[in-house]
Amino acid sequence: MAFFLETLIGGLMAGMLYSLVALGFVLIYKASGVFNFAQGAMVLFAALAMARFSEWIPGWLGIDNKILGNVIAFGLAAVLMFVFAWLVERLVLRHLVNQEGVTLLMATLGIAYFLDGLGQTIFGSAIYPIDVGMPKEPVFLFDGVFPGGILVNLEDVYAAGVAALLVVVLSLFFQKTSTGRALRAVADDHQAAQSIGIPLNRIWVIVWFVAGLTALVAGIIWGSKLGVQFSLTTLALRALPVIILGGLTSVPGAIIGGLIIGVGEKLSEVYLGPYVGGGIEIWFAYMLALVFLLFRPQGLFGEKIIDRV
Amino acid sequence: MSDQKKIGDVILDVKNISLRFGGVNALTDISFNVKEHEVRAIIGPNGAGKSSMLNCINGVYTPQEGSITFKGKSFSHMSSRQVAEMGIGRTFQNLALFKGMSVIDNIMTGRNLHIKSNLLLQALRIGPAQREEEKHREFVEHIIDFLEIQAFRKTPVGTLPYGLQKRVDLGRALAMEPQMLLLDEPMAGMNMEEKQDMSRFILDVNDEFGTTIVLIEHDMSVVMDISDRVVVLDYGKKIGDGTPEEVRNNEDVISAYLGTSH
Repeated sequence: MAFFLETLIGGLMAGMLYSLVALGFVLIYKASGVFNFAQGAMVLFAALAMARFSEWIPGWLGIDNKILGNVIAFGLAAVLMFVFAWLVERLVLRHLVNQEGVTLLMATLGIAYFLDGLGQTIFGSAIYPIDVGMPKEPVFLFDGVFPGGILVNLEDVYAAGVAALLVVVLSLFFQKTSTGRALRAVADDHQAAQSIGIPLNRIWVIVWFVAGLTALVAGIIWGSKLGVQFSLTTLALRALPVIILGGLTSVPGAIIGGLIIGVGEKLSEVYLGPYVGGGIEIWFAYMLALVFLLFRPQGLFGEKIIDRV
Repeated sequence: MSDQKKIGDVILDVKNISLRFGGVNALTDISFNVKEHEVRAIIGPNGAGKSSMLNCINGVYTPQEGSITFKGKSFSHMSSRQVAEMGIGRTFQNLALFKGMSVIDNIMTGRNLHIKSNLLLQALRIGPAQREEEKHREFVEHIIDFLEIQAFRKTPVGTLPYGLQKRVDLGRALAMEPQMLLLDEPMAGMNMEEKQDMSRFILDVNDEFGTTIVLIEHDMSVVMDISDRVVVLDYGKKIGDGTPEEVRNNEDVISAYLGTSH
């Protein structure tokens, strides 16, 4: 029982991290109807910025305080993501108003490659550590209930807390504010949104900035676990099945989708793996996504696809 | 009824507008004006340039020549958004609603320009933001009552029948509290009963809110009943302008619609 719970919790934590990346996709899709291929590149770029800034800043400013250094680095990285969002709107999206979704999709693919290159040119291409002071040591919970207790990584618990907080804030933003409503309106119809005075350009900057911030948070958490390296971009691929499962348009969907996949991966690996020679973890998510595409293409929480004939 | 309605001064003045797409002259030297509180129709056969005219006023197209003056302010290079800020709302010929959103949310988006409180307060629903949201919601409820779509408040717009979607489109434009409303074929594709409903709504909007209305339609009979004055376009040129009675007896208009024998 203790072992099962351990696996379950491990899965939930991994799932939370998938969710964080998936969130970025959902945000941009909800607000512009664009599937943003650059999300993985944004995670890498933001993480690189954070890692290098926190390394450089003590030298630049002569600050010895680690926490202060990290805070400033985070601020700088956030500013950088804002500049990035502004440039994307200015140089790419502005010229593609009212275009087909596939045109915008290709544009994001271009942005992804550009950002990959730019990030490594500016910040270097080695593996960099991020240390935001997350505890590394595991703890044992429920010592009294199970013999030996359950082994939990505190770092994962913190990460889960951050992710949960982010979800609450974003849900409030989308559902309760007029800007959130405007974002959803822009996703449905550019021209109509403009006709009622919604500033398309500003909305796009906002949403790419918010997605950039999510990427930054995801990048920091993944980076502090694994180190910042190019393979972070492939995280985006891990997030794909998550969004298919949760629904492209749903913030809670991204979270629950991530959790299901995280738990599914771990449990199937541990309990089914031995029978088929292992390796389930790698393809489990995609298999699940495929099943969903066949039977429920809008995902668990996505908006129902309505087609009038 | 039109005797009691007080029609004011000129609110929109369109002067010598020409619009070309490559070699095609969509509009040639069009001038007309719209007075405050009136119902002004732009009619003409298919391809006459009616929608192009509306899109010029709405800032979607920028005409190569001519000027458009709204409330004494002249503009030629305006984005749709700036036009919206000046107080001009519009509806669309091919519905352009936010399909996945509910009726309420669709109409609430129309209030966007009026919402002032800051993002954080809105998200938390506290203090002035809460009161403001309630105020706007009340206004939107009023519009919903007015358009008789109370039963569909929470329904995603994409699932509603066509005639009702047209009403939501109108409701969203009304939520902006526009001084002037541009209606692009509000009755296209409707049956007789729906057309009568829509005519009634248009007249009521004009009466109750005092909104100036510019509408495009190719169904002559409807237009003649509800408009104060009518502009007739054909092949991008203006061929008639006046009261429905005058237009009906205009030789050019008759030949444009019925064809001439010569």
